[in-house]
Amino acid sequence: MNVREWALITFTILAQMSVGSFIVLGIVHYFTAKKSGEKQADELSDRALLAIGPVLALGMAASLLHLGNPLNAYKAVTNLGTSWLSREIFFGVLFAVAGAVFAVMQWKKIATFQIRNLVAILAAVIGVALVYSMAMVYMMPTRPSWNMLTTPVSFFATTLLLGVLAMGAAFVANYWYVQSKNPGCASEQCVLLRDSLRWFAVASIVLLGFQFVLLPLWVALMAGPATASAAMLVGEFGVVFALRLAFVFLGAGVARHLFVPRGVESGARKSDGHGRVLGVRARPCR
Amino acid sequence: MAKQLAFHFDASACNGCKACQIACKDKNDLPLGINWRRVAQYGGGGWLPHPTRPDLVVANNIYAYSMSVACMHCENPACVQACPTNALTKRADGVVLINQDQCVGCRYCEWACPYGAPQFNEAKGVMTKCTFCEDLLAQGQNPACVDSCPARALAYGELSELRAKYGTENAIEPLPAANLTAPALVITPHRHAQASSKGTGHLLNGEEL
Amino acid sequence: MSDQDILTQTLNATPMTRRSFLKWSAAIGGTVALASGGLDVGLKSAQAAPAAEAAPAKTGKWVTAACWHNCGGHRCLNKAYVVDGVVVRQKTDDTHPDSPDFPQNRGCSRGRSQRHQTFGVDRIKYPMKRKNWEPGGGKKELRGKDEWVRISWDEALTLVANEIIRIQGKYGPGSIVSMGSEMNRTLTLFGGYTDVWGSTSWGTWLDSGPILGLGDGLTITSHNDRLDMRNSQLIVIWGENPAWSTQGNAMYFFQAAKKAGAKFIFVDPLYNDSASILADEWIPIRPATDHAMLLGMAHTLLVEDDPKTNPLIDWDFLNRCTVGFDKDHMPQGVDPKENFKDYVMGVTDGVPKTAEWASEICGIDPQRIRQLAREIGMNTRAALLTGWSVARVNNADAWPQMFMTLGCMTGHIGKPGHSTGVSCWEKAANGGPNLVDAGGTGLPSAGTNPVKSRLNNNELWDAIIKGKYTAGYKDVKDINIQMIYHGGTGSALNQKVGMMKGIQAHRKVELVVSHSHFLTSNSKYADIVLPVTTQWERWGYIKGNREVLIWASQVTPPLYEAKDDIWIAAEIAKRLGVDPRKVDALPLAQQVMNQIKGAMVTKDDGKTREPLVTITPDDVKGLAEQGVKVEAQTGRITLTEFREVGQYQVARKPGDKLGFIAFEAFRQDPAKNPIKTATGKFEIYSKAHAEFVKSKGWTEIAPIPTYNKAIEGYEDTFSDWKKKIKGEFPLQLVTIHYRRRSHSIFDNIPQLREVYPQEFMINPADAAARGLQNGDIALIRSRHGKVIRPVFVTERLMPGTVMLGEGAWAELDDATGIDKAGATNILNGAIPTGQGHQGWNSCNVQVEKYNGTLEPDVKWTQRIPVKGA
Repeated sequence: MNVREWALITFTILAQMSVGSFIVLGIVHYFTAKKSGEKQADELSDRALLAIGPVLALGMAASLLHLGNPLNAYKAVTNLGTSWLSREIFFGVLFAVAGAVFAVMQWKKIATFQIRNLVAILAAVIGVALVYSMAMVYMMPTRPSWNMLTTPVSFFATTLLLGVLAMGAAFVANYWYVQSKNPGCASEQCVLLRDSLRWFAVASIVLLGFQFVLLPLWVALMAGPATASAAMLVGEFGVVFALRLAFVFLGAGVARHLFVPRGVESGARKSDGHGRVLGVRARPCR
Repeated sequence: MAKQLAFHFDASACNGCKACQIACKDKNDLPLGINWRRVAQYGGGGWLPHPTRPDLVVANNIYAYSMSVACMHCENPACVQACPTNALTKRADGVVLINQDQCVGCRYCEWACPYGAPQFNEAKGVMTKCTFCEDLLAQGQNPACVDSCPARALAYGELSELRAKYGTENAIEPLPAANLTAPALVITPHRHAQASSKGTGHLLNGEEL
Repeated sequence: MSDQDILTQTLNATPMTRRSFLKWSAAIGGTVALASGGLDVGLKSAQAAPAAEAAPAKTGKWVTAACWHNCGGHRCLNKAYVVDGVVVRQKTDDTHPDSPDFPQNRGCSRGRSQRHQTFGVDRIKYPMKRKNWEPGGGKKELRGKDEWVRISWDEALTLVANEIIRIQGKYGPGSIVSMGSEMNRTLTLFGGYTDVWGSTSWGTWLDSGPILGLGDGLTITSHNDRLDMRNSQLIVIWGENPAWSTQGNAMYFFQAAKKAGAKFIFVDPLYNDSASILADEWIPIRPATDHAMLLGMAHTLLVEDDPKTNPLIDWDFLNRCTVGFDKDHMPQGVDPKENFKDYVMGVTDGVPKTAEWASEICGIDPQRIRQLAREIGMNTRAALLTGWSVARVNNADAWPQMFMTLGCMTGHIGKPGHSTGVSCWEKAANGGPNLVDAGGTGLPSAGTNPVKSRLNNNELWDAIIKGKYTAGYKDVKDINIQMIYHGGTGSALNQKVGMMKGIQAHRKVELVVSHSHFLTSNSKYADIVLPVTTQWERWGYIKGNREVLIWASQVTPPLYEAKDDIWIAAEIAKRLGVDPRKVDALPLAQQVMNQIKGAMVTKDDGKTREPLVTITPDDVKGLAEQGVKVEAQTGRITLTEFREVGQYQVARKPGDKLGFIAFEAFRQDPAKNPIKTATGKFEIYSKAHAEFVKSKGWTEIAPIPTYNKAIEGYEDTFSDWKKKIKGEFPLQLVTIHYRRRSHSIFDNIPQLREVYPQEFMINPADAAARGLQNGDIALIRSRHGKVIRPVFVTERLMPGTVMLGEGAWAELDDATGIDKAGATNILNGAIPTGQGHQGWNSCNVQVEKYNGTLEPDVKWTQRIPVKGA
């Protein structure tokens, strides 16, 4: 594993994380707004929203390190006609722009709630296109072992998982921040944060189960004998691909262990014990 | 002008000597780790106990053959499609070339190609690949590999003419199936040739490729 | 740079960059006095040109470049593209259109890597002295691991000369063992030296072949020429892989025979790359047991032959052209009971040499042995061919006779499509005398070596260590060697059997001198290393094969401080008080021109010859200006054409008169055209042969080809042969020619290391029994040494047999006794038998998994000697 391969993995994880975070945050915002109103929803999500930008920027910076000749990076969107890599970069940039526009609008409360929502939805759609492009980069007929439906499914599952975990971490941080200012907080924000974290936990368990159990089974079932011969003359790219996924899992696990359970458990103990589900899951890793 | 230049490879003649590989390396001054032409060996078979004599063994259909592999200058080149910067192009004569000034070094073409033709130059940060010795072609000479072969197993020409002369075979193990990229290659098969994806053997010299 | 292992340093420099070169030259002192811009040459040639710029910007010149190695190949045409004294590209023969009858003389991956040898970053660049050496030896145990100190040519030459005087004065002239071409002239004129002898590549064919009548396979061939081979219906090949060991056109010639319809059968422990192209059938055989197989075939022929219904044996040929086959055709004064037929049938010793008897030894199904005997019966147009490898076996003195006898029995001698003999090296697939030959160099002899002691290759190192050697039958003499001189005729330490003892011997004497291009094994264990020029740095070079004569010209002036071997020999002569003009007696340019002037080519009638080259009065004048004396003459081509084209090739076509049917006239009338044996016939019974072997002093053989068990052959893998209980070394190692190298030459070339990893071949069953998988590292042990190598598991190799390529430059760790390069002579013991040939293909080993690591050879640091810190 050299710098270039690490860069590729880092980019993949961070880009997926930013798209996933954006979408998860959007969902949280939607339900919170429905339940507690627009103001509470904005308060809940605005701080976290700001964290997404740097994550994506870092990911895109890392992607430059993957290139042998980064000076030509600007040319990398010139083959949108046939190259999924061009499309990946194109949608990556577009997502960054749309996300930034939305973030500025949200932060400064420019335009109406509805218009902001439209921009957000547009950005999310672009994000989905980005993740789809990222997956399609690997969907090559010349690599039968990658060229399976499981690849895009896995990419989207990872995106959501990373989004949930990243937002979980962000909410935990936010929860600590609020707790430190107002110990034993029982405000609506604190309740909303705790509720969100519970849902994050449930979602992460479901997604992890899918990633770790169902997907490998699915891959094993789909990988036929035909996949063996095509890769004989080419190098061990399978390793890079596998590592890329493995690090996603690893990253996900680390994020989960470090942020979500511990923070929520401590918070839960101090409050009303609602965090039991998370607390139980957290114990083994303390 | 040719519409699709192609290589002809006679697997029934090639004994795997790698003169083509080194001739290519020499002509193109390729550093270690980069070999635009490589020679793969494929084989199989096994051994059986002798039916009556415990001290004897019986060779069971043991076979081996060599395949000299370079860029196939495919009719449907996956590398050209994959390249995000259009650094890879297919010329009017079918030759697939890389413009290194345009290359971003993402190595996506390397993933896309099932033949391992585009190879990354670590020092320069860009991809490299077989040029069909286009500079020699322009001077009316043959590609270096073709003229080097002591077994006379390599030739080149217009794909349609090669097919008329040598047949249409282009997918023999350890090469991948031809429908992926439509390689501009005509193979005269070895007598033990195994069809792509249906081989009973295995790659013999992976560490040399 | 580490202090302890100063002989190498990290310089993974292919392609070499300017920075690494400058760093390196700074490390060695930076003040290298470079001859003729050598620094520039090295730099430019080694830089990697971008692919797009591969076509040289400046126009240069194609020069016919020497490919001078002892490669066993066909002597191919090598051309170098020289721009400003720098070689930027190579190519092979394109001097005429290519066709099967008149083929281009195409070279191999090694020859095409030649520029990386001549301009290699690891060239020895100036004379060096081992740091701790002093007269008398000086910490002799440090040889192979001491530091190197750069010295001047004058210091080096004076030091060597003074030591020759001192050691010769103290221990006598016989105390210097010299394995040096030109240096032998100097030593001959200064009291003499102990010589070294013994067949190497040939195995037992070198001497046995001519004594018995069949020839050695190189100077005298007994197989027909390549166009006649197309007349054969069946070609059976024992122990030969021309695709690896005879590169160039040999395989192309065999392919032509296959296209013409010949069936090929290969008898070999390996389903080799030649077989993969040619073989209709492969008969796997245990190494060193071919003789038993042929006895089984002879028995089958005798039992199944029926002159009327099933004629297998050519009785007419046996009766007219051979002696010793049966009791009615024995030489005068010999007990008729000692005939071959009675031995085969078991009349003599009670053991019939049946196919069953043979199969127990050689591992081939008796039915297959019988079937092959039937297939090669007299009425098939068959060529029975073999390489020398089968004869490179301890105790294989009777093998050439056995092989010849099989050919005589089936009558495959002296007729179109029929032949029997060695088909290898530059005569592989193309027998017969040369159609074009160079003249003599005209270099006068330096006289006869006054010292009579000669050491056999198998006893060389032991003689130095123990002070005794075998001089003949019951004749063991004392000797005291105190100086080893490696003067440029091969890498003796690395390439002779028993290298472990060789290193011990090198650490015993008072001085070791080595001429070389690189820090080869010879030089690594030496005290004084002298850099010599390659053939690319010399005035010219003449080489050829049966149909080709090549005139190679100088490619570059001498690099760095390298000097010709002859210059060194003459300079040392001066310091010894010997007339240097008697050593360097004729300039190289004059020698080469003598060879060219004297070159003769066979005319179309196939009988008479004419000079190859026309030399005009203008040529004479031009050459005189270069100090070369030559007279005008008329020949087939002009001198200019020969120089420009670089080779002359005799055009062949089917039906011409330039073909060769070995022993054709002899077969027609043996009395009128006797062959050069004691009896004038093929000697199936040869007293001369038995006496020759006996006279060497180690083993005795019968006058007929009886089966002699090989030392360290198949039988010796058992501790109890009768109960078939395997011993400590249960596997048989075959030492093969490896495509990375020409013997030890080219082993250091990175681009060849990259494509040929020096893998250790083992059968899946033997590998599984040892828990070995592809890519694992194996520890291979013999009775004589240990090496480690990456494992290549292959079903192409017969169970019980393992293979490793010869010629890797040993990298021996003194502490563990393990060589990591896989130098086969670490494993091969020095076992003197028979005629004193080396038995590389009889070696018993055991293999186990090695748990340490081993980097691929291509990633090793190159051997670049540096000045001590």
